[in-house]
Amino acid sequence: MTDLTQTSSSPGSAPFHIPVWSDANWIVRIALLVGLVLIFVALAAPLIAPFDPNAQSLISRLRPPVGFERYKDGFLFGTDELGRDILSRCIYGLRLTFALALAGSVIGLLIGGTLGLLAGIAGGVVEDFVMAMVDTQIAIPFTLIALLILAVMGSSLDVMVLVLGVYGWEQYARIVRAEVKKLTQMPFVEAAQAAGATPLRIAFHHILPNVVSPIVVQFTLNFSNIVILESTLSFLGLGVQPPTATLGSMVGIGRDYLPTAPWIVLAPAAVILLLTFAVQILGDWLRDKADVRLRSR
Amino acid sequence: MLIYVLRALVKMAVTLLVIVTLVFFATRLSGNPVDFVLGDGISREDRELLIAYYGLDATIGSQYWRYLVSVFSGEFGLSFLERRPVSQIVFERAWPSLKLLLSAISFTLIVSVPLGILAAIYRTSIIGSVVMVIAFLGYAVPAFIIGILLVLIFGYTLNWLPVIGDGSALHFIMPTLAISGMLVAAITRFTRNAMLDVLSQDYMRTARAKGLPEWVVILKHGLRNASITLLSVIGLQIAGLAASGSVVVEAIFAWPGIGDLLVRSAILRDYPVLQFAVLSVAIVVIVINAAVDIAYAYADPRIRLAKG
Amino acid sequence: MTKLLATTALASLIATGAFASELTVGAANVSSYLDPGRDHSNVGSQFYYNSFDTLIAKNHDTTDTEWRPGLATEWKLIEPTVMELKLREGVKFHNGEDMTADDVVFSLNRMYQADFPPYQVRARDRLENFEKAEKIDDHTVRITARRPEPLWETLLNLQQVMIVPLDYTKGLAGDPDKIEHDDYEAFSLKPVGTGPYKVAEFVPGERVVWERFDDFWGEKAPLDKVTVKHMPETASRITSLKTGEADIVTNIAPDQLGLIENDPDMKAAGSATALFHVMIMNVNHPKLKDARIRQAMSLAIDRDTLNEALWGGKAVVPSTHTLKEFGELYQPELTTFEYNPEKARELLQEAGYDGFEISYYTAPSYYTNGLLAAQAIMEMWAEVGINGKVTVQDKWNGGSPDMMARNWSNPMYFADPFGSFGVMWAPNGPSESEGRFNTDEDYAKAWEQFRFSGDVELRRAAYAELMERIKQDPPVLPLYRPYESWAMKNNIDWAPKPGHIPYVLDFRAGSIAVN
Repeated sequence: MTDLTQTSSSPGSAPFHIPVWSDANWIVRIALLVGLVLIFVALAAPLIAPFDPNAQSLISRLRPPVGFERYKDGFLFGTDELGRDILSRCIYGLRLTFALALAGSVIGLLIGGTLGLLAGIAGGVVEDFVMAMVDTQIAIPFTLIALLILAVMGSSLDVMVLVLGVYGWEQYARIVRAEVKKLTQMPFVEAAQAAGATPLRIAFHHILPNVVSPIVVQFTLNFSNIVILESTLSFLGLGVQPPTATLGSMVGIGRDYLPTAPWIVLAPAAVILLLTFAVQILGDWLRDKADVRLRSR
Repeated sequence: MLIYVLRALVKMAVTLLVIVTLVFFATRLSGNPVDFVLGDGISREDRELLIAYYGLDATIGSQYWRYLVSVFSGEFGLSFLERRPVSQIVFERAWPSLKLLLSAISFTLIVSVPLGILAAIYRTSIIGSVVMVIAFLGYAVPAFIIGILLVLIFGYTLNWLPVIGDGSALHFIMPTLAISGMLVAAITRFTRNAMLDVLSQDYMRTARAKGLPEWVVILKHGLRNASITLLSVIGLQIAGLAASGSVVVEAIFAWPGIGDLLVRSAILRDYPVLQFAVLSVAIVVIVINAAVDIAYAYADPRIRLAKG
Repeated sequence: MTKLLATTALASLIATGAFASELTVGAANVSSYLDPGRDHSNVGSQFYYNSFDTLIAKNHDTTDTEWRPGLATEWKLIEPTVMELKLREGVKFHNGEDMTADDVVFSLNRMYQADFPPYQVRARDRLENFEKAEKIDDHTVRITARRPEPLWETLLNLQQVMIVPLDYTKGLAGDPDKIEHDDYEAFSLKPVGTGPYKVAEFVPGERVVWERFDDFWGEKAPLDKVTVKHMPETASRITSLKTGEADIVTNIAPDQLGLIENDPDMKAAGSATALFHVMIMNVNHPKLKDARIRQAMSLAIDRDTLNEALWGGKAVVPSTHTLKEFGELYQPELTTFEYNPEKARELLQEAGYDGFEISYYTAPSYYTNGLLAAQAIMEMWAEVGINGKVTVQDKWNGGSPDMMARNWSNPMYFADPFGSFGVMWAPNGPSESEGRFNTDEDYAKAWEQFRFSGDVELRRAAYAELMERIKQDPPVLPLYRPYESWAMKNNIDWAPKPGHIPYVLDFRAGSIAVN
């Protein structure tokens, strides 16, 4: 095990290396493959989806997947409660869920990272203020915040991105602030300060590169949490507006059919599982590679 | 130390005030309870009548002032819907939620600490990988899917377990499992990582050199030292769960808890209930966090110094 | 076969075995308050009939109108606007008080002369014609109407005028000798009536526990104890029948019926409920002012297909706003609403519809199949070229000028067109006052005749005229009478009775049997 303080002792050099295939064990390789396939499917959704995901056929509702009685030709994963093709909805749902989770994680990172960096470098009142915001955020149930935002602003895709973006900012802020505080006491930063570097230069050249690895880990956690959160919001009737398919809304709205037409839920749930699974394994692997203890404070 | 505590208390009070204020204005921006429960199919004049009756016709500023005054005199108001004191409603719901939370935490600790240690010790072998894969599953499936599947398997098909409410010990099994998925995943992971850090420390080598059996070394020295990190993580996770993690599971198992109350009162804009419930949850979270902070500072003097 | 573990086995034994008369009901929704006067919600309707009585009762076994003595044993008109009622003697409230004329006068006047806003609101749309109730002697009361009333019995059989105790209510809060608003508020948490079951426990939103009331004036309740529990999740609700945690569960969606029917341990009972799921349209929305666009929105919807696909054909699609419960005013021969996509396309073209978006609001889960129907309707609209979009929200926006179209339910509050269409689309009624419906003098005249004429034929003719107006300038389209189902264990004999308003859980003598 290498210690962070040693790897980062040379100013300006990032301790974060992009790991390669040969480093990976079999689980990681599988996760990597799954991840790549999912990304491909998400990107190529319009090309590979067999049907329009929103095209209904009320006379062929709730048809089971291939291999079961009453299977409807061409609809490999069966049809849902409005006769829409589950496979196509999974594909488009994956695309949208992927985009939402990515956008949400990035926005959270930008908000939280900026505030954390600010708090860590500026200290004093600014730090107190940011940390007070963090404490407040932690103390209010997030579902409730989501609910209120959606209630005030109405539910649309933009608002959903905003809601998911707000999610988890406080975690980034805490992590970044903690890392920054530690780093500012490191010899190389003190040296840069002594040499007359501006705070901005210190932030971007010396500190930012060193907080990448804990952020990556938090990012993967946040990403899969957002996927789950989106489905929870759908469960509560607050998700993306129908008929638009996301993996979460398919699971959240379809759950009443679990006893009678389980394929409606199981197919998107399996995709969620693959997605979060791949992201988690990869994140954990990156963590091990970077070997940074994920500090919670 | 006294100053540290005082500072913490003041911070707590400010946080609570901010929360009360935020919730107050956000809820009022988000609409009127009359439009959510009481008012479909009544005339416009009647709607005004009800709004006035519930005291919602005053300006938002004076409503806020009235609310603050009543809060400081210990009055949190009546639910718009149920017309009984909100404190009564919230406390009625708090105990079932707390019981479920305790059950989930106990289960999580029993399962994930050993798993985490196992995963750390056998980090490079297949055992470690398998443990981590199992742990990840908890992260990867929404709690309500686990919940409904459990209901269908152990309730509907096998008839082994009751599915409704918190009547007996058996009632706790499925909700605990459903709610713990995420917790087990998180704690296993953090235990593993904390143990990894500890296992490579010098004192572990010293302990081994003393000829102590390996399990003694791991449990006594390793776990004890890793527990500091664990404590803070568990505190955070519990705080998160206490806050909202259980909404969905409570709905599935008809658990008369606080998560269900929060969501229902938010959807129906039952402001008084919502405000008091959020405030109660916030206090619990803040107290847990403060307790963790203090325990942490107590366990590790360096932190205490750093916080100064 | 291993079945239930100890506790649940015991519970089901208690429920079905030796102590045969305890029952648990799993309900999708439980009321937040229990006061028959202020309530007219579908959730609330479940609960009142077991615990409260009206002055004039009704035979609920039939959709025909057969009045029966209730808390009044006889009633007669002594003037065109005055009715005198003889009260039943020996009636006790659940708290032991005797029911007298004072209680009856109080119960009626709290609605007729309401000063408590929740009562005012409820009384306005249906009880406005009633001026006062007076005590003549301990067991005689007189009720005075403002103008001759064709619906005397109907409007004395209402849930809102169920009889509640005066002294008990007075003593609930504040000054024990005075009626204050807080007394009414407190009553809704501790309701007391004269019905065969007393409310032994009420946890708002969670649980209602009924116990047999031994001093009930009529045939005693068949069950010792009934517990209604809140079970919001469909899968859990159905499962609770299998695990023995419930004996009856409510709100089984049509898609789940197969599951119940194929299970040897369970059965389902249901009926096309006496209410319409409707689509309402805002006639004053700037983009929908042209009646032809709204006609097209209505003509484009193939309600029979909705019924076949979503309700398994068990719902009832009406040709006009009429229900067979209306008795002599049931007019199925009218054709107010139909499916005609060609005509819809023509009308859109004539109206110069340019493809602007029409939003259709629905609550996420309040109406069975509501969200599904909304999405299916969007497809049907698309077929004729209407660009529709579903918006899901819990908020009631029927009074918002931005509302274009939304779903809603129009229950039969009492068995007369006045109790269904009439309550909502009266001149100056809720729809008009919320700004999404307009009436003029002609409409008001037809309305007057429909509401107050003593001649059934004149009422029918006037209602037909109103329907023609609705057809020409539509503010509403009744989609169907939804088919609502309850599931229960095989040993229970229960079904919704045809003579009730929707959703009533009637557990009175003769309505339920446990084998």
